[in-house]
Amino acid sequence: MSTPVVVPRERALPDSPLAKVQAGIDACVHCGFCLQACPTYLTLEDENDSPRGRIVLMRSLLEGTLTPTNDSVETHIARCLGCRACETVCPSGVPYGHLLEATRATLARSRPIPRIARAILAVFSRRSLLSLAMFGGRVMRATGIARLMSGLPGRIGFAMAMLTSTDRASSSSDEPGEYLSRGNGTRGNVSLLTGCVMEGLFAGTNAATERTLAVNDYLVARPAGQVCCGALHAHAGDDEAACELARSNIAAFEREQCDYVCVNAAGCGAMMKEYGHLFADDPEWHERAKTLSAKVRDVTELLSVAGPKRGGSVPIRVAYDAPCHLLHAQRVSSPPLDVLRAIPDLELVPLVESDVCCGSAGIYNLVEPETSNVVLDRKLENIEQTNADVVATGNPGCMMQIGAGLVRSGSRKSTVHLVDLLDRSYRRAARDSDGKRGGRAK
Amino acid sequence: MAATSVASAPSVSATSSIDQALADRLAAIVGARRVLFRPSELLTYTADALPSYFKQPALAVFPGTRDEVVAVVRELAACGVPFVPRGAGTGLSGGALADGVVLVGLNRLTRVISVDPDNMMATVEPGVVNVALSRAVGAYGLHYAPDPSSQAACTIGGNVAENAGGPHCLKYGVTTNHILALEVILPSGEIVTLGGTDGENEGYDLVGAFVGSEGCFGIALAITVRLSRNPEGVRTLLADFMSIDAAAQTVSAIVATGIIPAALEMIDQATIRAVESSIYAAGYPTDAAAALLIELDGAIAGLEHDVETVETLCRANGARTVRIARDEVERTRLWQGRKKAFGAMGRVSSHLVVQDAVVPRTKLPEVLAQIHRVSQQNRVKVCNVFHAGDGNLHPNIAYDASDADETARVHVAMREIMTLCVDAGGTITGEHGVGLDKIAYMELIFSPESLAAMCTLREVFDPERRSNPGKVVPVHSCREWHMSPAARPSASLA
Ligand SMILES: Cc1cc2nc3c(=O)[nH]c(=O)nc-3n(C[C@H](O)[C@H](O)[C@H](O)COP(=O)(O)OP(=O)(O)OC[C@H]3O[C@@H](n4cnc5c(N)ncnc54)[C@H](O)[C@@H]3O)c2cc1C
Ligand code: SF4
Ligand code: SF4
Repeated sequence: MSTPVVVPRERALPDSPLAKVQAGIDACVHCGFCLQACPTYLTLEDENDSPRGRIVLMRSLLEGTLTPTNDSVETHIARCLGCRACETVCPSGVPYGHLLEATRATLARSRPIPRIARAILAVFSRRSLLSLAMFGGRVMRATGIARLMSGLPGRIGFAMAMLTSTDRASSSSDEPGEYLSRGNGTRGNVSLLTGCVMEGLFAGTNAATERTLAVNDYLVARPAGQVCCGALHAHAGDDEAACELARSNIAAFEREQCDYVCVNAAGCGAMMKEYGHLFADDPEWHERAKTLSAKVRDVTELLSVAGPKRGGSVPIRVAYDAPCHLLHAQRVSSPPLDVLRAIPDLELVPLVESDVCCGSAGIYNLVEPETSNVVLDRKLENIEQTNADVVATGNPGCMMQIGAGLVRSGSRKSTVHLVDLLDRSYRRAARDSDGKRGGRAK
Repeated sequence: MAATSVASAPSVSATSSIDQALADRLAAIVGARRVLFRPSELLTYTADALPSYFKQPALAVFPGTRDEVVAVVRELAACGVPFVPRGAGTGLSGGALADGVVLVGLNRLTRVISVDPDNMMATVEPGVVNVALSRAVGAYGLHYAPDPSSQAACTIGGNVAENAGGPHCLKYGVTTNHILALEVILPSGEIVTLGGTDGENEGYDLVGAFVGSEGCFGIALAITVRLSRNPEGVRTLLADFMSIDAAAQTVSAIVATGIIPAALEMIDQATIRAVESSIYAAGYPTDAAAALLIELDGAIAGLEHDVETVETLCRANGARTVRIARDEVERTRLWQGRKKAFGAMGRVSSHLVVQDAVVPRTKLPEVLAQIHRVSQQNRVKVCNVFHAGDGNLHPNIAYDASDADETARVHVAMREIMTLCVDAGGTITGEHGVGLDKIAYMELIFSPESLAAMCTLREVFDPERRSNPGKVVPVHSCREWHMSPAARPSASLA
């Protein structure tokens, strides 16, 4: 029989963010059900790189067996993608995402966040720097410099391949055909989070989001004063910056008094749905944060409750890769498929492990390139097994990560935001009914 | 869920030879990344899925291919170092814990070596996950029948070592009924093939001896399993009852008809509530005292008749409602709830002990009543979820381990439950194995002679007792242990 052990009540790191999530750590029964869901375990094959193993490390920090400066803790916590696939399978309800953020925030107190991560986060915190960076990105994309450099080894080459892939993705919305983008507006007022990367590199998708929502009877606005959602900061353990950005957004979206906040980047949507949790200990902001979080919807959630309305034929084969922050963090699984299925003649082809992370994970691919690459390679292999023309997903990070992998491997497939596919369908419908422009196939 | 850090001091004298030099030699075989030597990185390997015991391995090594396993075992044999095989670490008896010795992880050996759909068999490496095997052969309309609730995580190697069971083993038999042949590396480094693929093999049933040997007979390198054809039809029923007794009576009544359900599981109220508050919520009624999950399968002809018979029996024995899963989605949901029940218990309290005992099925109502009494007397919360069809009980107790008084009461209750199961003519493990956890109970049910015989059998495979030392049979039962190696009867496999 199992001998019950008595564990001491005293804890190391009493005032740390980690101590606050002790109950979540205790909920882990060590059953191992999460192992096969974890992309880093599947690729690195060491339990230290699994949810169960990482929770052991977290618990050891609280018990004082390990200290925050321990190298193993640093390594294995840093290697976590934060994809939260472990949460979706955990029978015990371990809130792994919260545990991870609390751990990173605790570690950040004794060890600075890695330099490259700090640099990127700083850019995302300041609007002027961010605009400049996105402008630079677009210039390199437009001039072909990005493509030229995309074959270079290391982080630079990969970043350039990411940029190049956004060119392919955004050109998918260059389909000719205009359509009257107004429905009757009866489904409510929607405020769009334009997003840093979405507006910077996928402006076409933001426009497509507005058009498709309007067709489906929403009234869409872009509130002024909105900033980065803060997800990248929170994931890295930079709580303060995350809260500051969140406060700006709460204020900006409150002014609009909308029914819904629409997000077309799964990572940002997951973050905004968690603003309530972020301010759990802040009486001044907690209610306001919760109210905003309750209004946040992924664009596919809004579209799927509206049908979405049918458009014209888009005869291509599409593999859907679920963004982790949509599937696992927001638990939104069928709306994206509803949207794709609503497109006439679009063939949805099965993708093995479509519920497993691609290795993008915010800025992970730039901070932990090695692990990111092995995770990506597995994804690319699965994609190559399909006969899909394009890979549809719903998060800029995933589009660029998979897109870069496809560019670098010389694949003919590319990535696309699924809203762009719906948009294309509506354009075709408009064109077909117009009659004048028919006959131009994809 | 419990403390991770109660690492005990290495207890085996061979530890002295587990040093950097050995680590280096192993790294030369498997690569430096695949040898863990730092205590901080060994922490997660100090427990399996029963976090009541923590034993720190001196070193852990993770070979990636069959040849690497062979080289590792031969290296360990050359320097006389004991080792413990580990699959996915989902064991519930502390079997895969290495106390100051070398842990050999087999989780990287995940290749399905061959599938022979015509002869309904497949050969796999030991690290293949149970469901992955069924998935790999699904296209042929086949599956691997033994389905432990942990099938999404546990490995075939671990299943072989524990002779794992599962809900569907009531009708289809446990692991040992599905293993045709094994390629095994003995602790000495010698490779032997046990059994064969052409049916009955001459001589002793050595496969039968190895299956359930809990890692004490060496490492399974390749496992040839029998595959089963997917049944033509499957019907899944959920019946709920207002008393445990009524549910238990129903179990007996069903079995008495001669119908053999594919599965017959009982879930009590506390468990139902834990499941229903988890992401695996299956729609079990939370106000019922107990529910039975009954699956019937086979040829379509006759199946509906069986379903009707069982449904009538349930109602006659007091079932409040009987629900039949309409489609595969609902069926999966009902099963997911059951299979994730143990994990869901994690939300009840911060710590959990899991028990595994078997009682004669006819004694179920009586034993369940006694367990209830024990839990009340000791003021502990016993949840029960188990394979009712074969009398295999899994009482679990959720508790707060930082409360010394409660912990002590849990300890007493568990002991009493175990004793009453044995007194009812039952035994101390149904499927989780003896490992470390049940060792103290072996003498409750086996005579010293039987235990000594087990030692003798072990000596055939592992005369130096280097594979999974200190597990299954209490060391003092093995009288020869204290003799010099030379005095031990020499034994080898013919
Ligand atoms: C939630 C949950 C539900 C469970 N339900 C069931 C159930 O329904 N039925 C059931 O029977 N069990 C069940 N178990 C227990 C456990 O999953 C099984 O015992 C399983 O067979 C262990 O497999 P593993 O790969 O995790 O092995 P491990 O736990 O890693 O090891 C178990 C034993 O096998 C040995 N071993 C591992 N691989 C090899 C190999 N290749 N060669 C030789 N020895 C080896 C180890 O030394 C150890 O002694 C459950 C566990 C959990 C956590
Ligand atoms: S599935 Fe949940 S409870 Fe089980 S080991 Fe993983 S995190 Fe812990
Ligand atoms: S968040 Fe993803 S990478 Fe991290 S432990 Fe969970 S499943 Fe693994």
